[in-house]
Amino acid sequence: MYAKEMVKQSLPLLIFCGLGGIVAGSTLGVMTDLLESIPGLIVVIPAIIAMRGNISTAFGSRLGSAYHLGVIDADNLWNEELKQNIIGSLVLSFFISIIVGVLAYVTTVFFFKINPDPVKLIVIVLIAGIVSAVILTLMTVVIIYAVFKRGYDPDNTTGPALATFGDIVTMFCIFGSAVLVEGIL
Amino acid sequence: MIYSWKKIVRHGLPLLTVCVLIEIFAGQILQDRQETLVLFPIFLISIPVINGVGGNIGSVLGARLASGLHVGYISISLKDKEMHENLLMSILLGVITYVILSVTIYYIYSTLLSYNSVPINLSLLKFVSIVLGAGVLLVCVVSIASVFTAFWSFKKGLDPDDMVAPVVTTVGDMMGIVLLFLLIGLVGI
Repeated sequence: MYAKEMVKQSLPLLIFCGLGGIVAGSTLGVMTDLLESIPGLIVVIPAIIAMRGNISTAFGSRLGSAYHLGVIDADNLWNEELKQNIIGSLVLSFFISIIVGVLAYVTTVFFFKINPDPVKLIVIVLIAGIVSAVILTLMTVVIIYAVFKRGYDPDNTTGPALATFGDIVTMFCIFGSAVLVEGIL
Repeated sequence: MIYSWKKIVRHGLPLLTVCVLIEIFAGQILQDRQETLVLFPIFLISIPVINGVGGNIGSVLGARLASGLHVGYISISLKDKEMHENLLMSILLGVITYVILSVTIYYIYSTLLSYNSVPINLSLLKFVSIVLGAGVLLVCVVSIASVFTAFWSFKKGLDPDDMVAPVVTTVGDMMGIVLLFLLIGLVGI
């Protein structure tokens, strides 16, 4: 009975996350021309997705703890505690994006002896990193607000929701940013 | 005030830097095999699915182990029966999920979309064996990583809830890509 319960509770969410993965993967699938024309672009993809996932799930879980500690709730959401959390997530995204761009450039030169355009690579990562950070931070606040209103525990709901939407939003942002930068630079 | 953005940045930066460094190496493997991926986009599409599901199963296992350790019904021993049951359940969940998702991907890309992403000689059976094989091996790897991270951090007096998710998703992304290419090589396309 124990096993049956676990499958019943976990499977629907796992399948839902997997379907989200198919949407994210399909975005990657239509990017093949861009991946070929911008060397180093494929290198940054796992790193940006992982950065986004880590920063936004940590943000969501901090807001969950803040709720349990009683410093934020549905009627008192937009306060100084929330603002500090938002600034923290955005500043982290900014620094990590630059680190990702630089690491991708350096390792590509080292391993493949090809020379990608470092400015192009860093600008693509930075735009994708910041835009996805802003979208996901707002999304988290909206999800958290809805969860508070219903009186659910934010710890159980924000993680999987953010993981699924996060991958899709991030892939769209990388795609858009690469198209934009390839068109301008 | 409890939170300050400077503290959030200072605490987050070191672990995140290590994570993205490992992820960059995962990305370099993709770049090395870019030709295969561009030629057969169905595998490119599968990567976020394989890694996402593996990371989720590993994180959920870690969260359950953390609760068990905190409450005391799981002990730090490789022979713990409760831990073994959780491990087996993770693998079972992985098998079911990967079969459903790989069949879905194959049908979306071979029948619904006239998108030229499925190679002619790649049968459903071959594709499912590759994704299922890579996926189940990945679940085994992330589950073991999850158990060791949970036990190690609990022993050190750190909260396993904070440690398991970043470790498991990073290990999962790296190994998911390695295992996918291993299975592509073994099954042959």
